Amino acid sequence: MSATASHTTHARPQAKPGRTVRFRIKRCDGPGKPVRWETFAVKPEAGANIISCLQQIAASPVTVDGQKTTPVAWDSGCLEEVCGACTMVINGKVRQSCSCLIDEYAPNEGDEITLEPMSKFPVVRDLWVDRARLFDALKRVKAWVPIDGTYSLGAGPRESAEQSESRYVMSTCMSCGCCLEACPQYQVEESPEKWPTSFIGAHAMNQARLFNEHATGAVLKGARLDTLMGEGGVNDCGNAQNCVQVCPKHIPLTESIATIGRSVTIHAIAKWFRG
Amino acid sequence: MPSFIEKNHFLLRRLHSLTGIVPIGVFLIAHLLTNSSIIWGGAALREGMHDAPFADKGIAYFQEEVAWINTQVPHLLLIEITLWASLAFHAILGIYYAKTGSANTDRYPYQGNWRYRVQRLSGYLGFLFIFYHVATLRWGWTFLVPGGTEWSFRYSASTLAAALHGSTAGLTTVGVVVSLFYFVGVSLLVFHFANGLWTAAITWGLTISRAAQRRWGYVCTAVGAALMLMAWMGLFGALAVKHDDAKRIETQVHQATGADSHVAPAGSVADGH
Ligand code: SF4
Ligand code: SF4
Ligand code: FES
Repeated sequence: MSATASHTTHARPQAKPGRTVRFRIKRCDGPGKPVRWETFAVKPEAGANIISCLQQIAASPVTVDGQKTTPVAWDSGCLEEVCGACTMVINGKVRQSCSCLIDEYAPNEGDEITLEPMSKFPVVRDLWVDRARLFDALKRVKAWVPIDGTYSLGAGPRESAEQSESRYVMSTCMSCGCCLEACPQYQVEESPEKWPTSFIGAHAMNQARLFNEHATGAVLKGARLDTLMGEGGVNDCGNAQNCVQVCPKHIPLTESIATIGRSVTIHAIAKWFRG
Repeated sequence: MPSFIEKNHFLLRRLHSLTGIVPIGVFLIAHLLTNSSIIWGGAALREGMHDAPFADKGIAYFQEEVAWINTQVPHLLLIEITLWASLAFHAILGIYYAKTGSANTDRYPYQGNWRYRVQRLSGYLGFLFIFYHVATLRWGWTFLVPGGTEWSFRYSASTLAAALHGSTAGLTTVGVVVSLFYFVGVSLLVFHFANGLWTAAITWGLTISRAAQRRWGYVCTAVGAALMLMAWMGLFGALAVKHDDAKRIETQVHQATGADSHVAPAGSVADGH
């Protein structure tokens, strides 16, 4: 990896027009297929992001050694950092590729950018991973407000300004998986039958808190806490607090984890006495 | 075994957290306080030895404390067995839990992530150290002590110094290795306790907001710093002790308290404590 530290500086560096940026990409043709590294030279357009550079590579998939290869596969959706689909490991750090702007990130001739798929999810192809377990975790904690029924429930409960402000930021989670990729307690698990006992992750604990603190959503609080009390729940968190450092939405994940810890403590004691 | 752990997941996790504080952490505080008195004890000695050097009075105070613990504390064996069982429980489950993680400080070198990593490392090394420490100085496994000194509560400072030095005559090369092991061991364990105190507050849900976690972090840092100071005082205090001089002082203490027997007279204990 060469000089790409520029993205941490605040004064925006002037990108050199017509420069060449090298992309070193970890490639894999599909589940169980071997991994290989390929490097491509790209002349980024003004305002380029990682995705537009990948599009350039797809238009002419030739490596720096002149080898013709297949286009690099990736996943994306919104292109404005709200869907989470384009998350990948860029120069060793997990983040969204759509909001990684090349003019800032690699302003100089010969700058190199290393792209890897997230390591905590099974690879579908190249940079595209399958985040099914992340969504399964949301089902496990019933991350919703139950309103289905045979009659109208009427208007929803009123929420105070303070409460809505504190819950709003929790609701901005885009299920990107950054918090899981950076978590030392979250390991890749390919077999779905092991998901119910594997560590659920910070995003799910945050969603459990979001809906526990909603007046109607709180109906399911006991069920959520039963799940989070068990194996793979909040007790499996090791408090490394990487999740909160990498969350692109700046969600106070460690506060959510501690809140769930408190709820679970109270829930367990109450259950023990109540039977 | 796994199904038992699965079924009692919550209970075991929280007992693991709890045992780190009570009894292990509480014992650690008491133990380091006693050990460090080898340095500061001279200021606390209440009677006799008025003209003796400060260091000598420290040795005398330490000897009185250790003799008191070993002869006057009721149910000492029960307390010890509780501690050993708690340590074994905390260590075995700790290793089992630590194996579920994979360190990634190379990619995410955040301070919290380093503490996560060192917490696990200090658990492994600290457990080895405690085992060596208890086996040699408590269970009398003298074959593991260079020089073969057996620790005795009646000659607490002198036999401790000889066990650390590797001989009754002074520091030997193996003694340096043992002492370094002690230094690393106690330092890591103090860190393990202070950091564990910080994370336990999150685990149980006592500290929730970032500000609360930061504030509690200051408290844990202060507790850790104080304990670290005590740990180093105890270790370097013991290393500075000369075996023969300490033995002379300890004999004086026995004569002064009239205790050549294992039990100090009740009067001296009441005066001394
Ligand atoms: S605080 Fe818990 S969930 Fe967050 S990164 Fe650390 S171990 Fe993972
Ligand atoms: S909590 Fe943050 S890092 Fe985790 S999935 Fe949601 S947005 Fe991504
Ligand atoms: S494409 Fe939606 S977050 Fe990047």
